[in-house]
Amino acid sequence: MPKRKDVLALILIVLPWTLLITLWHQRAGNPLLPIPRDNRTGTSKAHQRSFRLQKPCLSENKHIPEVTRMKSIHSRSPAWSNALPTLHIITPTYSRPVQKAELTRLANTLLHVPNLHWLLVEDSAQKTPLVSRLLENSRLNYTHLNVETPPNLKVQRTKFRNARIPRGTMQRNLALRWLRANIGPRLGQSGVVYFADDDNTYSLELFEEMRWTHKASVWPVAFVGGLRYESPKINSQGKVSGWRTVFDPRRPFAIDMAGFAVNLQLILSKPQAYFKLKGVKGGYQESSLLQDLVTLSDLEPKADNCTKVLVWHTRTERPLLVNEGKKGFTDGRVEELLHNTKKKKKRRSFRFMWTKKTDCILLREDLHIHTVFRMPQR
Amino acid sequence: MRMRLKLKTVFVLYFMVSLFGLLYALMQLGQRCDCRDHEQSKDQQISQLKGELQKLQEHIKTSELSKKTDVPRIYVITPTYARLVQKAELTRLSHTFLHVPQLHWIVVEDAPQQTQLVSDFLSASGLTYTHLNKLTPKERKLQEGDPNWLKPRGAEQRNEGLRWLRWMGSTVHGKEAAALEEAVVYFADDDNTYSLQLFEEMRYTYRVSVWPVGLVGGMKFERPVVEDGKVVRFHTGWRPNRPFPIDMAGFAVSLRLVLTNKEALFDGDAQMGFLESSFLQHLVTMDDLEPKADLCTKVLVWHTRTEKPKMKREEALLKQGMGSDPDVEV
Repeated sequence: MPKRKDVLALILIVLPWTLLITLWHQRAGNPLLPIPRDNRTGTSKAHQRSFRLQKPCLSENKHIPEVTRMKSIHSRSPAWSNALPTLHIITPTYSRPVQKAELTRLANTLLHVPNLHWLLVEDSAQKTPLVSRLLENSRLNYTHLNVETPPNLKVQRTKFRNARIPRGTMQRNLALRWLRANIGPRLGQSGVVYFADDDNTYSLELFEEMRWTHKASVWPVAFVGGLRYESPKINSQGKVSGWRTVFDPRRPFAIDMAGFAVNLQLILSKPQAYFKLKGVKGGYQESSLLQDLVTLSDLEPKADNCTKVLVWHTRTERPLLVNEGKKGFTDGRVEELLHNTKKKKKRRSFRFMWTKKTDCILLREDLHIHTVFRMPQR
Repeated sequence: MRMRLKLKTVFVLYFMVSLFGLLYALMQLGQRCDCRDHEQSKDQQISQLKGELQKLQEHIKTSELSKKTDVPRIYVITPTYARLVQKAELTRLSHTFLHVPQLHWIVVEDAPQQTQLVSDFLSASGLTYTHLNKLTPKERKLQEGDPNWLKPRGAEQRNEGLRWLRWMGSTVHGKEAAALEEAVVYFADDDNTYSLQLFEEMRYTYRVSVWPVGLVGGMKFERPVVEDGKVVRFHTGWRPNRPFPIDMAGFAVSLRLVLTNKEALFDGDAQMGFLESSFLQHLVTMDDLEPKADLCTKVLVWHTRTEKPKMKREEALLKQGMGSDPDVEV
């Protein structure tokens, strides 16, 4: 009998200690938990929970109209680790012939970036099936939003310059709204917000540079402001002291939309900060948001102290669809563009030119018609 | 008796302490970490996270592509030339190619020597590549102010790519030679846009496969018209009477066909729009074309073109001697 008692006592003493020691061991050896491949569904479900909209969004600000429906899906994400800050990429887009091509190649780039959340905002009254399908077939984590810029406020070539609002403003504001409504300022919810236009070119290093933004970070952008690149000026202390631009370097933030990123918590903590809609001078749009968020001294220079170019402000030529339709001129834009190159000559004289030159017309290279073409024989 | 009692109490005490310790540890697991002391070692944390990030990125690279080694290889020939947007174009093109398994990128520069920009770029890209260069002779080159449709571009460079493929085909043996039997050759310009599905469509080409191309020839798309599974004519807005009124991005040729027809090359003196025909007519007839992309009803490639960036202010600065730092590669 005493033997049994002894054994029992021994077990009762040893057991908790062994448990304690194993638990301690585990904690010490695994501070960060990498996500193995088959655990993906688990993480994406968690994100579904955090990103799905609970109730429809109501507009508080009169400039931002009510959003009718939002869609957010997390499918087989490229790579996700709970330890990395999420990059929230806001891309406004609008319907035009090259839209699908632009979004396709942008998606191909974004697929390489881990922990990325793409907020694609269409400038349309309803979500277009083209964009919906593209997003579903990409393997990205995305949120599909839409808001239509009122036609009278869209960028016009002539008249009422003050009433125009820069393209994409309402869409970017909607995305900011969405972030504020759906990602509460929870502890440890680290993220960075970046505004990526659908026609620019981004290197993969750029995303890794911006990921470690504490407040707001900046870097050079190529092909803006009529220069090879524009960049912030960095002083000897490694802080931003000015702007290396020719176009209005006295702007509070003389930087392109693609040249800065803001920490998510900063966006969430200042819910009044939006892009100004009206009365914004050309080139001041970025400042209208940044001045509500940071001061010059808060800016963190990236890309090797702003000496490397990691993003290019490329622009895609608008394809002239002249051969669509029987007569080749059913596309109204063609006439508009030709009208401009002929230096305000009237349409009538253009037609005259057409017949005179025996069915052939040579157009300037910058109109990106790279063929000599005849009237299609039908 | 006393001894026993003492021992008993000791044991009981011991047991209670360990039990409480265990409970405390279990409670700790459920709590969120108090991160105040983490702040001090932020840099450490960041470098730790960066390390994990690198691990993740390598994981992506190796896991996706290394799986598929048994599919036919695609050789992509891209002629390129130095201009402001060159690095940007190649960068986003490489991002697309990185998703395609078994892709071998042949980049041919229009330059007397291989440039540092392209060499550095290719070695950092992570792709399997071959870097070549071939200078276009002056009389065939576009001059300043020439509209870019005046002379066909890239013919010499594509021919150089073909020459390299033929050289490679004649020198490999065994497994590699077998792999070449099924490989495909595609001519991809550096400013077009390619969807990932396109590469899967062209991968299984017996002779020459064709598909629609978007935003080319002044149309929303140009495409071969397919009836009964065969290409009967081409829907194109411009000069449909060409032997092959198809854009460079609209067809792929099997490597076998390229290697057996050693004379098939692009004719640099061809009329505008006849460059593709000058090559294809040596290889195949319209009957033999294999329609892809759902019998040529889907657009999987777009003939996008990038605007030339405006450099007015840069030029003004240069005149003043204050141009942007030329050491910064753009």
